Amino acid sequence: MSILANKDTRVVIQGGQAGVNAARRMAEFCYLIKRPLNVEAFVYPPDAGKTNEIPYGSGLIAIPVYKSIAEATKNHPTLNTSLVYIGADRAMKGGMEALDDSHIKVVSMITEGVPEKDAKILGAHARKLGKVFNGPSSIGIISAGACRLGVIGGAFDNLVLSKLYREGSFGVITKSGGLSNEIIWICSQFADGITTAIGIGGDAYPGTDYVSYLEMFENDPQTKAVVIVGEMGGDLEERAAEWYGAKKRRVKLIAVVSGFCQESLPKGMKFGHAGAKEGMKGEGSARSKSDALKKAGALVPPTFGALGPAIKETYEELLKSGQVKAPVEPAVLPRLPKTVEEAMKADEVMVAPLIRTTISDDRGDEPCYDGYPASELINKGYEIPHVIGLLWDKRLISKQEAEIIKRIMMLSADHGPCVSGAYATILAACAGIGLSQSVAAGMIMIGPRFGGAVTDAGRFFKYAVDNKMSVDEFLAYMKKNHGPVPGIGHRVKSLRNPDKRVKELVGYVKSLKIKTPCLDFALEVEKITSVKKDNLILNVDGTMAAVLVDIGFPVDSLNGFFILSRTIGLIGHWVDQKRQDSRLIRLFDYLVNYAAPKRREVPPLK
Amino acid sequence: MAKVLEGPGMGLMKKWGINVPNYVVVTSVDELTKLGQANEWLKKSKLVAKAHEALGSRFKLGLVKVDLDFKAAEAATKEMIGRQVGSITVTQVIVSEMIPHKEEYYCAVKSTREGSEILVANCGGIEVESNWERVKRLCLEIGQSPSPESLEKLSKEAGFSGALAKKMAEFAGKMFACFDSEDAQYLEVNPVVLRAADDELVALDAVTLLDGDAKFRHPDWNFAFAAEFGRAYSKQELEVMAVDSKIKGSVKFIEIPGGDTAMLPAGGGASVYYSDAVVARGGKLANYAEYSGDPPDWAVEVLTEKVCSLPGIRNIIVGGAIANFTDVKKTFGGIINGFRKAKSEGKLKNVKIWVRRGGPREKEGLDAMRALKDEGFDINVFDRNTPLTDIVDKALQAK
Repeated sequence: MSILANKDTRVVIQGGQAGVNAARRMAEFCYLIKRPLNVEAFVYPPDAGKTNEIPYGSGLIAIPVYKSIAEATKNHPTLNTSLVYIGADRAMKGGMEALDDSHIKVVSMITEGVPEKDAKILGAHARKLGKVFNGPSSIGIISAGACRLGVIGGAFDNLVLSKLYREGSFGVITKSGGLSNEIIWICSQFADGITTAIGIGGDAYPGTDYVSYLEMFENDPQTKAVVIVGEMGGDLEERAAEWYGAKKRRVKLIAVVSGFCQESLPKGMKFGHAGAKEGMKGEGSARSKSDALKKAGALVPPTFGALGPAIKETYEELLKSGQVKAPVEPAVLPRLPKTVEEAMKADEVMVAPLIRTTISDDRGDEPCYDGYPASELINKGYEIPHVIGLLWDKRLISKQEAEIIKRIMMLSADHGPCVSGAYATILAACAGIGLSQSVAAGMIMIGPRFGGAVTDAGRFFKYAVDNKMSVDEFLAYMKKNHGPVPGIGHRVKSLRNPDKRVKELVGYVKSLKIKTPCLDFALEVEKITSVKKDNLILNVDGTMAAVLVDIGFPVDSLNGFFILSRTIGLIGHWVDQKRQDSRLIRLFDYLVNYAAPKRREVPPLK
Repeated sequence: MAKVLEGPGMGLMKKWGINVPNYVVVTSVDELTKLGQANEWLKKSKLVAKAHEALGSRFKLGLVKVDLDFKAAEAATKEMIGRQVGSITVTQVIVSEMIPHKEEYYCAVKSTREGSEILVANCGGIEVESNWERVKRLCLEIGQSPSPESLEKLSKEAGFSGALAKKMAEFAGKMFACFDSEDAQYLEVNPVVLRAADDELVALDAVTLLDGDAKFRHPDWNFAFAAEFGRAYSKQELEVMAVDSKIKGSVKFIEIPGGDTAMLPAGGGASVYYSDAVVARGGKLANYAEYSGDPPDWAVEVLTEKVCSLPGIRNIIVGGAIANFTDVKKTFGGIINGFRKAKSEGKLKNVKIWVRRGGPREKEGLDAMRALKDEGFDINVFDRNTPLTDIVDKALQAK
């Protein structure tokens, strides 16, 4: 048996993320005691119509979110308890809504900083309706082996250590959330554990006081003793003492009160919870409370440290008199499934990786490229081409090689709006398409006829050099097996109208006194082809390809240099159109050669 | 609970129709001089000047001057502003008109568990303290307003009669309206006086405590709340308050000069038990502190720095119960950073650190604390198996 929260408790949680976190904790407890999740619904208007996913064991349970308590109880007529996790400025409205619903019998408010007046109104309203309003500032309510409301009880390991999976004989009432857990733990170590533990909240006027709960515990045959953790301020402890002393009670009462330090501190200095304040005339002091409880016959240990032995003493008396029997512990308890990360950390599982990478790692405080921290590269003077070297070819390239790459990129960044890539990007930009999609539209154009010849050019020049072919042999081989030589030929440039970019790049590379077998071979090829036809010159793709192969880049990466450089231009075109707020482009009819059949009659469908 | 100084307190009463003397709050003599040119009453009436600060026994300190003409009020203001009393510097003076009167009475409204209580007595000033049995009460449930009849009955019970009984009933009714509408926790007017000029009741001095938690629905509370324990908050305390107002969860810090046992415990409830244990063992608290509600680690780090900076400390108590949802590893991470910083600044010499804690990720947190030993900290770490306040016993026994 237990009070307030039991196996029939069905919960609606009012609130957002804090409520979801509480539901997770509650699901852990339900899993431990092998019962279905006791949370049936959430009420949170911004998320109404959605569901919250709550982990239970190794699975997930979808709990619906409603816009009002009425809607929740209509769909879940077994709901009888509400937990309020709404902000202090709206908490009263939420609490009232729950109290006013005929299904709801218990409302527990977790919200802190609720105005005193609001708490009093809620408490009075609940008493009028014969319902329970617990809190505000309550950590929750837990009945061992039966029901958990809120995060009281802490992490899963603590639930097990504190033996909350089965009933004991001690009731617990505390103002403090942290201490509720401490007392639950003490009861499990010095005695047989708890029946129900309630956090009533540390405010000045909690909705329900010690006496109401003491009455409930008195009527719960399983509870043999109650531990109260009080603090200075208000008169709840005095009222509890009065109740206990009024007549012979079945339950034993053990109590501690905090705030003795106040006697030796500057007057009026306020500590701890909102309700922990001494009255103007010394009433509500720790001493007056402690004395009242002692006088009423409660066991009042002198310090918090002596509480464990006092509980032990009480438990041994109960054992001796036969009122309780030593508990039988279950042989096996469910274990909370670990996440894959946790299990790996504990060396309990091995996971076959889905992908493998050899270039970068961003798990630390900054990215590492092929093992080198980005900031260190920056501080030691490395630049973008070096990062390209690390990520594309896994090596730190030289200063000279970096300079070549930089020049290639500068020469290829943009070739005006008329080429396929830029035109596609502009077309997309004018249609109101976003940056990444518009740039992608331009990218799609890169292929065999536009900008995509670098890789193939590099591959064939390299093939010729590796196989020590003469230019004639190479041209014959290409004609027989592949067709025109990639990297040779230009739509507008020719021998008489040479491509300045090629001249520039070739001139620079030749000035470096490095070995350039591919470039040399490509220039030899040009000599032959340009004689055959004026415009069969080595174009910029072919030049880049030959140079990049010469400085050691893998053939498969070569198109990347064009793609990367041209991205700079494509982004520029998109931003340019955006800046001008350009209108949608539509092709004029006069730019189309309509070669389709003339209009004709559609024959009947056969 | 938030204390409000006389000026804004009087302002709230005036808002609810209670007669209060004319008053001005000034921060300099020049301001008062200018106000004197604009307000006839300052020149015409006898005046009272009081230091407008959260100070007890202002009369004894010479910070209340009565029966002044305007010149004398200026002189008194000049003398008071800038005066240092303990940790408080007087920055404001309230100058109000003296109300010639014969009789003094008492009226208060206070918060009770059921609702509120209206208190009335037909004596006032210091007389009411020694004649507490003459104070009569009217108890009200929350949501209930006093009827004119019940107020008149209360007034008559307190010994008022005739027209005055009706006036006192009305006065108490206005006090209740102010209390109820302004989310007050305590309102006291002592004395209420019968103004000789027109036989109207006037509130001469007010104690106003408001519910700070209700600030969200009172946009006109544009005044600062006063420190509650008769001194100003220190710079360190204000810095922690500033952090507290920004974060999820809370961090609290109050200095207690002269102590040698520094407190850095978790939880609003446990922290007081730790303080009790120190006092019970004959120790002297150097501060009160507390962090709870899973605050961010940087906030706990700031709190730790303040604790480590307390002068003359011998022990630091890093106590705590078994947390429900405060992440022990994360919050201890903040404390550890704070300790390291303090040590690098040459603090924590000959200071022993005592740790006891439980809760989510307790093992990781406690292990991290234990590892501080290798960095040269004098630290003793205990887990949930050591009862809550035993570390205080150990600390104060250790020599």
